[in-house]
Amino acid sequence: MSPTARFARTRRFARRDDVRIVAGLAPLLLSVTALFGTAVGLAVLRSLGVGPFTASDDPTLAAYRRLLADPEFLSSVGLTTHVAATSTVLAAVLGTASALVLHRAVRARRSVTALFGLNLPIPHIIGAVAILALLGQSGLISRVATRAGLLEGPAAFPALVFDRWAVGIIVQYVWKELVFIGIVALAMLRSAGDDLDEAARTLGASGWQRLRHVTLPLILPGVLAAAVIAFAFSFGTFEVPLLLGGSYPAVLPVLAHRRFTDVDLAARPEAMAIGVVITVLVVLIVAVGAALARRAVRPDAT
Amino acid sequence: MRRRPATATRALATATIATLLLAACTGVDAVSEAEADAGTDAGTDAGGEPETDQVRASDDGPAVGLPDPTDWPAVLAAAEGTTLDLHMWGGSTEINQFVDEVYAPALTELGITLNRVPLADTADAVNAVLGQLESGRTEGGSIDLIWINGENFVTMRQAQALHTGWAEHLPNARLIDFDDPSVAFDAGQPVDGAESPWGSAQFQFVYDAERNEPDELPRSYAELADWVVANPGRFTYPAPPSFHGTRFLKQWLYELSGGHERWLDEDSPEAAEQATRELWELLEELRPYLWRGGETYPTDIADLDRLFANDEVDLSFTQLPAGIGASIDAGVLPATARPYVFDTGTIGDHHYLGIPVNAAEPAAAMVLANLVLEPDLQAAKLDPARGWGDGLAIVPDRLEPEEVGAITEVAQRLGATAVDQAELKQARLPDVAGPLTRILERDWDRFVRQRQPLDP
Repeated sequence: MSPTARFARTRRFARRDDVRIVAGLAPLLLSVTALFGTAVGLAVLRSLGVGPFTASDDPTLAAYRRLLADPEFLSSVGLTTHVAATSTVLAAVLGTASALVLHRAVRARRSVTALFGLNLPIPHIIGAVAILALLGQSGLISRVATRAGLLEGPAAFPALVFDRWAVGIIVQYVWKELVFIGIVALAMLRSAGDDLDEAARTLGASGWQRLRHVTLPLILPGVLAAAVIAFAFSFGTFEVPLLLGGSYPAVLPVLAHRRFTDVDLAARPEAMAIGVVITVLVVLIVAVGAALARRAVRPDAT
Repeated sequence: MRRRPATATRALATATIATLLLAACTGVDAVSEAEADAGTDAGTDAGGEPETDQVRASDDGPAVGLPDPTDWPAVLAAAEGTTLDLHMWGGSTEINQFVDEVYAPALTELGITLNRVPLADTADAVNAVLGQLESGRTEGGSIDLIWINGENFVTMRQAQALHTGWAEHLPNARLIDFDDPSVAFDAGQPVDGAESPWGSAQFQFVYDAERNEPDELPRSYAELADWVVANPGRFTYPAPPSFHGTRFLKQWLYELSGGHERWLDEDSPEAAEQATRELWELLEELRPYLWRGGETYPTDIADLDRLFANDEVDLSFTQLPAGIGASIDAGVLPATARPYVFDTGTIGDHHYLGIPVNAAEPAAAMVLANLVLEPDLQAAKLDPARGWGDGLAIVPDRLEPEEVGAITEVAQRLGATAVDQAELKQARLPDVAGPLTRILERDWDRFVRQRQPLDP
């Protein structure tokens, strides 16, 4: 489809598009809701104390009440939010910046973009192990520094993994999500073309003005959508904090797993309740993010 | 800007798809967890209801249908021409190979066909037996022999689903020290001849001879506390409920509370809470001297091995009686790493073979339980090159001089990377059941990991 044809589309056509998208997604939606819906339903039931290992079959909010009174759960919510928010903001800013630089500097060279996206297929768990090998107190950097006489030994290297502020986890997420957000931003830049930028230039807009009023609004919906995904992912993922996180506090998914594998079966409803809390929070975040993205597209629509 | 709605739709669609995919991944996990849940249901339910008539097949002494092991030729005759269904955890290639390539041919010579059924979890076999018994299949069951110990053994005993009183009458039982509490008790439960030992494991400490002289090492927990203070930042332990972490602390509790004996039949949670309290106070005092100031702990033994190998800490642990040779060869531990045990002892335990009450071929099961105790096969199993470095179930002292050669030969080859087998046996303390383990793990989490204040 040529750019002119796309421009010629009316809103009515876009709506028909929406229907088509939903229809096309139906098989996916169906299987996902069947799988996911059943699991969430089970988790909710178990979190209410319904199911095996429990004395009564009456639903109770006891597990949720225990969680709210549990300082470990509360600090875990704090830590999880900190990890997800910090890594997402860093990844969004750095990813967008990299996309802008890449777009301007190497417009024609696809190989550079391919290089930029090189770590996308690398699994998170491999990334986590790599961070451990790199940033651990006996990791590569620490060893090189010790060999060079800059450090006295492993203990003198700052604690970047298993640490209170989850630096290692955040670095791992940024490493991966920067590229994810960057690629989305780059695709948005590419599809937007340079016409508007050049028009603004002809009209005398400075570089900053063009970035602020032309380029960023163009790519913002994509960046926001990608950031929401990144946030939701880092909020709910398990293996990275398991490998790089400290003993206390732990992020919510790790805490849920600990409660689930607790020798005391009474802790299982709590594990399920944590799972439900994660799900609800992630859904809320996605909803807010989607609303924000919509507003970013139509600043005039109030 | 007419193009904007399309962009927005695309962005939203992308976000929705990705979110659903993410959700799907989480969903699958939850489903499999739910299934895992369902898997344990049967066991717990069945374990809690041992009253079923069919389950009461055997209580004391060999039951009807169980051949008399004191008449061994008759057992051999009954076993000939049968197929033995051995159900065992199948997660280790070395162990599977050993069973297939050493035991199976030896059984073939006796006219028994071995059918090894690999399990993802021993609890699966336990649940299978309990399910068969509940549905009235009291004989001709599908499982003749289970590789079992610990909680699974306790569950099966609760349900009276194991033949008892046979293990001590096997011909090779003479080689076993049934007075050793770590043989006679499994997870605190008296074994009562309901399972026959196959091998053993024991907690040991690991140090690096390059860094520390043997005579400067701590030899008891009291010495360890002083050593930790004198070498700040050079010691930590895996966080319970990881196996090694819990064992490490349980031994400390033994020493603090004046020995393991009182815990053998102590089952009041209050006593355990009282005794562990002292341990938490001591650990709080030692916290600043631990690795990372006790702010975080390694997750498991693999983590601790890594810290040890990277010269971040000076001690690690191992459970293998054949020592750390294999870990050194694999590069997990430095070549100069050496195992040792405290003078005050370390916890060891055995793993066993048990015959379900509804086994179709109990005679063949006994033949294998006896076969695995043959001195040369015990030696081969101890040898990391042929077996998997598993500890002995038999006592070399009880062997005839001509029988002991194979074990001595393996032990010599293990050299400095293993503790002397006699010294290990000497230092062995039994594990205990009851509420101690649970309280240890629960309260460590509260008072050490979360640092909740200890009430006065």
